Amino acid sequence: MDDVSVRLRNLAKSYWRGSLEIPVLTGIDLEIPRGGYYALMGPSGSGKTTLLNLIAGIDRPSGGELEVCGHSLNGLNDDELAGWRSRNVGFIFQNYNLVPVLNAYENVELPLLLQDLGRAERRERVLHALSLVNLTDRMRNYPRQLSGGQEQRVAIARAIVHDPELIVADEPTGALDAKNAEEALILLEHLNQELGKTIVLVTHDPKAASHARFQIHLEKGVLDRTVEVHDRPVLPRLLT
Amino acid sequence: MRFLTLVLRSLFRSKRRTFLTVLSLSVSVFLIALLQSLLGTMDALTTSTGSGTRFVVQDKASFTNVIPQAYTNFLRQQPEVERFTVLQWFGGEYKDPKNFFANFGVDPESYLQVYREEANLPSIPLEQVRDFLRDGNGCMVGRALADKFGWKVGDVVPLKSSIFNLTVRLNIRIIFAGLRKSDEMVLAFNIKQLQEAVPWMKGRVGAITVRAKNPADIPRLCERIDHHFANSAQETLSITENAFNLNMMKLLGDYSTMVHSISAAVLVAILIVTANTMAMAIRERTTQISTMRALGFRSGQILSLLMAEGLLLSLLGSGLGIALAMGVASAAAKVAGQIIPWMADFIITPETLLLCVLITLALGLLSTFIPAYRASRRPITEGLRAL
Ligand SMILES: Nc1ncnc2c1ncn2[C@@H]1O[C@H](COP(=O)(O)OP(=O)(O)OP(=O)(O)O)[C@@H](O)[C@H]1O
Ligand SMILES: [Mg+2]
Repeated sequence: MDDVSVRLRNLAKSYWRGSLEIPVLTGIDLEIPRGGYYALMGPSGSGKTTLLNLIAGIDRPSGGELEVCGHSLNGLNDDELAGWRSRNVGFIFQNYNLVPVLNAYENVELPLLLQDLGRAERRERVLHALSLVNLTDRMRNYPRQLSGGQEQRVAIARAIVHDPELIVADEPTGALDAKNAEEALILLEHLNQELGKTIVLVTHDPKAASHARFQIHLEKGVLDRTVEVHDRPVLPRLLT
Repeated sequence: MRFLTLVLRSLFRSKRRTFLTVLSLSVSVFLIALLQSLLGTMDALTTSTGSGTRFVVQDKASFTNVIPQAYTNFLRQQPEVERFTVLQWFGGEYKDPKNFFANFGVDPESYLQVYREEANLPSIPLEQVRDFLRDGNGCMVGRALADKFGWKVGDVVPLKSSIFNLTVRLNIRIIFAGLRKSDEMVLAFNIKQLQEAVPWMKGRVGAITVRAKNPADIPRLCERIDHHFANSAQETLSITENAFNLNMMKLLGDYSTMVHSISAAVLVAILIVTANTMAMAIRERTTQISTMRALGFRSGQILSLLMAEGLLLSLLGSGLGIALAMGVASAAAKVAGQIIPWMADFIITPETLLLCVLITLALGLLSTFIPAYRASRRPITEGLRAL
């Protein structure tokens, strides 16, 4: 099997305002190996979110090739793309984006409802994911009954419950205080190191980016440079 | 089915809004069900089984005037006439003016024949018919009327009429079960009692009801009769029973157009209310919908979930509305049926119920589809940005 998770060739994305083309990303060439942990950095408006959305298959490029988790995304129609996402991608958002009418357990179960799994099997997986984020005792709580940090941990459980190869996170610590942000980052790092998930993390925060193994810098829609992180914070062991 | 929890919880996320929408939906369904049933009841009344073959001959100037009974001689000679009977509205009160019901003096034998469907003649025991025809003080009453006052065959009923300044004491000889309740709210006795007791009734009747062999002959027959008496002391006016009933209804305005336009207006109003509720409910969930699609929900699945929600909402509304209407209808039939005879037949037919359910289903689908479709096709990235 291919050991490359994300392969982008000459990727471009433009928006059109009337007949005026507004390029947002141009000539992006990038390879992220399986199990890689990459932080996407750059000033506001440089195209980080746009690039992440393309990689995650929720947006379409204007040009170039896009191969993620062993699939060329260019040729897939919307429904095929949705199916592909449901099997290969886990999403973590800045504002958690939990479904307010579902409790923690049901939120984590949501991605599994798209798969052909029995109730018992779903339950087993949901409980496992919840135990990874240490929230089993809060699983009957609704999002409004959880703290921000807990909400984000539920979201992380939701992102891994269906065992995707790739996890994308857009400013996952943007709404959290320092302590909860640190906790979330440690969790992500464990997912990467112990479960082998490929992670692409968009962040402004150099401290958050320091958890990744590589930092990609975007500047006005072009890849500026990629740097390896050497002095990563030491991890306490969490997962087994 | 595994999404039922999600649909139900989403529907009741904003309890007050859902409650208010269900309430306004049910009030509308209730209104429409009642209006349509009222219409149906009136229609059934004006097109009763026998009424298509009958017409009424009465005084041209006013139906309250009496005409000579000898006019029947001319009718007897007309080959198209099957049978006729004579009637006189008595307006009698039983004990109390509040106990209003229709009562007539009639020619017993021909009356039973001319109104054989309404009285369900074959079902009346032969000895009751015989007793009624023999007893000059006998009368026949409908089952519903008898039940109302607790009358039994053999009871004596005193009726006091202020029109004739006369009290008659009648022996109940027949209690008949009609096809419809409204046909049972009537009492008929021998018109001879009136003609013998009241000087100006001698040889006179209020109206003649004629039964034609063939409904197609009625217009020709009416014209011939009225023409024949055109130069007599009292001119006649012959009209079909349907036309007679319809004329009564016309007094209430063009009721069917009215009912239909009210129903339509109610529908449009409720469509706007439901569409607004659903549009709001969907718009506030833009981020949630985009998130679910990012997780892998297909547009079609999102659309189905939202449509299920809209359908459920309208089904709840129509269910409650129909329950309400049924309750009110049976109460109305009980209470109003005692005052207005045809209200006794007031029921909500299965057709009306079906109509209401279909209308609300269509309403739910229609009001949900547009916002749901748009939400399900909206670019995911746009929805995620809209916070
Ligand atoms: N739908 C759109 N139509 C037009 N322009 C858009 C649209 N979406 C994004 N852009 C533009 O694309 C550029 C990149 O946006 P993007 O959201 O990727 O930036 P970002 O690097 O994530 O910024 P931030 O750090 O503020 O989140 C911006 O200039 C933005 O204005
Ligand atoms: Mg961004």
